[in-house]
Amino acid sequence: MSLAPDLKQRVLAAAAAKPAPTRGQTTRARLVLFVAAIAGALTIFFIKGGVRMTNRPPLLVALTSVGTAILSGVGMYLLFTRRGRSMLRRPGLWLLLAALGSTVAFVSWKFGVSAAFGMAQSWPGRVGFKCLRLSILTGALPLFAALVSWRGTDPLTPAATGAAFGAGAGLGSALLVDLWCPVAYVPHLLLGHVLPIGVLAALGALVGWRLLRVRSR
Amino acid sequence: MNADDAMSRYARGDDAAFAIVYDAVAPRLEGYLRRHLRGSAQVEDIIQQTFMQMHDKRGTFSAGAEVLPWAFSIARNFMIDTMRKTKREASADLTDERTAMGAMLVSRVANGEEVLQARQTGARVLAAFEALTEHQRAAYELTEGEGMSHAEAASVLGTTVTGVKLCRHKVNKRLRSAIEEREQRVAAAPSAAPAGDR
Repeated sequence: MSLAPDLKQRVLAAAAAKPAPTRGQTTRARLVLFVAAIAGALTIFFIKGGVRMTNRPPLLVALTSVGTAILSGVGMYLLFTRRGRSMLRRPGLWLLLAALGSTVAFVSWKFGVSAAFGMAQSWPGRVGFKCLRLSILTGALPLFAALVSWRGTDPLTPAATGAAFGAGAGLGSALLVDLWCPVAYVPHLLLGHVLPIGVLAALGALVGWRLLRVRSR
Repeated sequence: MNADDAMSRYARGDDAAFAIVYDAVAPRLEGYLRRHLRGSAQVEDIIQQTFMQMHDKRGTFSAGAEVLPWAFSIARNFMIDTMRKTKREASADLTDERTAMGAMLVSRVANGEEVLQARQTGARVLAAFEALTEHQRAAYELTEGEGMSHAEAASVLGTTVTGVKLCRHKVNKRLRSAIEEREQRVAAAPSAAPAGDR
């Protein structure tokens, strides 16, 4: 058996009848969406007070921020990029390990550097809910930009990819919140800085499963 | 121009390149889909859906990426959807598909004299194959049946290269033991017959 002789013509005619964006158009649309999302996240960040030194030495702020930026950057690279020449994303287990590894490294860095400066003690009244809220708010916009940009493109593991996007957005927002929050007390870090990465990953998995999967026509 | 380059050009807006992609990819998809689905209509429907998906998302195709694993993963996704929808009716009659799968398996696991014996035990080999997990079967089929590299198959299945190698190893082991069991039965048969006569 072989395919119907006119199938190729039908496919080509259907494609010609429904123009699809080219790579250049897609890249520009994604860029606009991401710039808008990051601008939105920065707006929220500055409305909430922007960079706050509190009583932190500038060197401590610089070290935690640069370290967080590097770790978040590596985490986002691992979570967002594809493997080799494949159009498909990395395996789910790989994504999970990358998200967990980046998060643990980020918390360890923030706590370790702050402890070296003697600033990892408890802060009464700073449980972490404000950081939790700010992290989720600033991370949600890039997350939705990613989910919308890549909608309908994952035929394999849309939920895992969505979770990876969520974890990546959470790591990005961790950088902003680190500039805002001087507290490095471990229970605070877990509630205000780690939990939002998990929340955004869960949100990404949930929405990603709906939005990223390839549907039958 | 190969299929990867053609898809890359199509992603940049060269509409004529899509025909080259079709010519390179459609026959590969057809062979794979025919082993799983009933009738040409379903196969053609999935091929058409796959190419329309590739067309719709051409803007996401990265320069230098491989088109075949991408196309297979999309087609496999649609195929699984279709199989779920038609599960009840499909289970009633899969003779042609099972025969095609059995032929492919037999040709891959054995050689020379083994082929002859394996042909006689086609049903046994097929039963052993069908007892494996869907993931193991797919890994084996993509590498042996479709000639994909371990990396390409891993990409289609969303797993690691090591995962594909492990699946292949398990499938080979299971199929070989099915053939060996058959050989042992054949070898034991002549001595069993007189015993039965007594």
